[in-house]
Amino acid sequence: MSIIHTEKLRKVFSNKEERTVEAVKGISLDVQQGEIFGLLGPNGAGKTTTMRMLCTLLTPTSGLASVVGFDLHTQSKEIRKRIGYVSQKGGMEIVATGRENIMLQAQLYGMSKTEAAQRVTEVIDRLRLSNFADRKVITYSGGQRRIFDLASGIIHTPELLFLDEPSTGLDPQSRARVWEEVVGLHKAGTTIFLTTHYLEEADALCHRVAIVDQGDIVALGSPAELKRQIAGDIIVMGFDAENKIEEIRNLINKYERVKETQIADTSLHVFVDKGDQALPVIIQLLNQRGITPTTIQLSRPSLDDVFLKLTGRSLRESEASAKKDR
Amino acid sequence: MRDTFLILKNELLVTLRNPFWIVRGIVQPVIYLLLFAPFLDGIANLPGFPAKSAIQFFVPGLLIMNAMFSAGFEGFSLMDKVESGFLERLRVTPVSRLALALGFVFETSVTLIIQSLILVLLSLFLGFQSNLVGIFVLLVLILLIGITMSSISFTLALFIREGGILAGIINTFVLPLMIISGVMLPLDFAPGIIQAISKFDPFTYAVSASRSLVTGVFSGGSIISAFIIFIVLAVGALVWFIRAMREAVA
Ligand SMILES: Nc1ncnc2c1ncn2[C@@H]1O[C@H](COP(=O)(O)OP(=O)(O)O)[C@@H](O)[C@H]1O
Ligand SMILES: [Mg+2]
Repeated sequence: MSIIHTEKLRKVFSNKEERTVEAVKGISLDVQQGEIFGLLGPNGAGKTTTMRMLCTLLTPTSGLASVVGFDLHTQSKEIRKRIGYVSQKGGMEIVATGRENIMLQAQLYGMSKTEAAQRVTEVIDRLRLSNFADRKVITYSGGQRRIFDLASGIIHTPELLFLDEPSTGLDPQSRARVWEEVVGLHKAGTTIFLTTHYLEEADALCHRVAIVDQGDIVALGSPAELKRQIAGDIIVMGFDAENKIEEIRNLINKYERVKETQIADTSLHVFVDKGDQALPVIIQLLNQRGITPTTIQLSRPSLDDVFLKLTGRSLRESEASAKKDR
Repeated sequence: MRDTFLILKNELLVTLRNPFWIVRGIVQPVIYLLLFAPFLDGIANLPGFPAKSAIQFFVPGLLIMNAMFSAGFEGFSLMDKVESGFLERLRVTPVSRLALALGFVFETSVTLIIQSLILVLLSLFLGFQSNLVGIFVLLVLILLIGITMSSISFTLALFIREGGILAGIINTFVLPLMIISGVMLPLDFAPGIIQAISKFDPFTYAVSASRSLVTGVFSGGSIISAFIIFIVLAVGALVWFIRAMREAVA
């Protein structure tokens, strides 16, 4: 049975002074019990909005959804008892200690004071937080704080855990630590629904992913399935700014092994059959015109390439333009 | 009810952790008490001045003024909670919106009462004389004003989300209401038009009731009016805030 089921879930924000924003344009998906499911996409794609609707924090403009077997519109209280949610900001009260923060949370889930104290200690021990659990949250490092956020999300042993950008903004070591705990929770039987814009992480950890762009799902499946849609290999070449990248692209497109090309900033992505054999030919083509790439990479397709192929934009590039919009 | 208490306890703990909590709330009224009240000494001898001394006149109004502003600016603390994601973390638990709203409002009530008691104690050192029962009844009135003002401020904070605008709105409405209520100077000294307008200012009744209560006079019409007005306003504002919490997209 699916633990999350949505049909054409949609959210329109109408700010009085600004224009209305259709943040989520009708998302239909199913998440199975026991999965780690990832929602991927650039900033502003609608990931957080989707997640907040599923967590009963935002009322959908239209569409249907059921979460942990209950209807999102009419049974939000039942849903809240059974899900955990860790927002991007975490939401710790910084002048209270980590322990006090999750103690409050445990009691709000209906545990008595002694039950709550016991459970809090158990979670603190399991996530190895005891060294700093009794210090004020304001003194924590980013990584320590994020693991405590995680602890607040699982204090009531939810069936389904929502994590919004669990690893964004952390150093590599803390990121690895967060992922280690996420995998641990999954092994213990929790279904996990997360968002991220790190495609490599999603590729390594999620059983299935939905790639969203501008409020719509553009691809859905296991990372392996999605990458298989891109048969062949990818050659990525970087050029100096003075090279006319459009011309180079037209030149390379004439070669019959080339299936598709995409420009992302100053680099050219070339989707080819048998990349190892095509690469020398391409270099020779360029050399005949006196063009030398500054960098060349030959690789198997990644989720970023899937995104590039489906939307015509690189994820990093849309990231940059999303920031400019703000 | 248990949830309300949990939220209240947590909020009080957080307030107490901030070493400046008491200073922050009370520094402005204390400045008025120390620097403004002496100015009134000069005019306390004028014919028509409605109290024995300046301090006797000013302190009851100051207590009402403190309730208006201290509670009126509580919206900022809720904005911080929205910004930090704290409110969202609570909203995803099964805790009722009613309990959340009551917890936040009661916390502001508790701090307001403590502030008022400190102000009364300080005033006693400066020669203020008060009827004990009167002060007790006055604290109830202050509580009602606190609930009214903090609920309004919280609700505005949920809708507006921008500190500068919130401060602007509160100052635009609360400052004139405070001035025409006769906190600073006796209303008898004001021109007729202001006296007429002040009849529509709920705080005029509160200030007048406050002045009667501290002298131990419990019979004035303004006391009954003030209680009726602020019971109605407090309930109305609280219901408004609870509804806003239910609908908030925070
Ligand atoms: N409360 C809101 N009011 C108005 N617009 C919003 C609100 N929340 C999000 N948006 C808009 O909806 C779009 C999607 O945002 P979001 O779901 O946060 O994206 P993501 O999490 O993928 O970065 C953005 O254009 C954002 O500006
Ligand atoms: Mg987001």
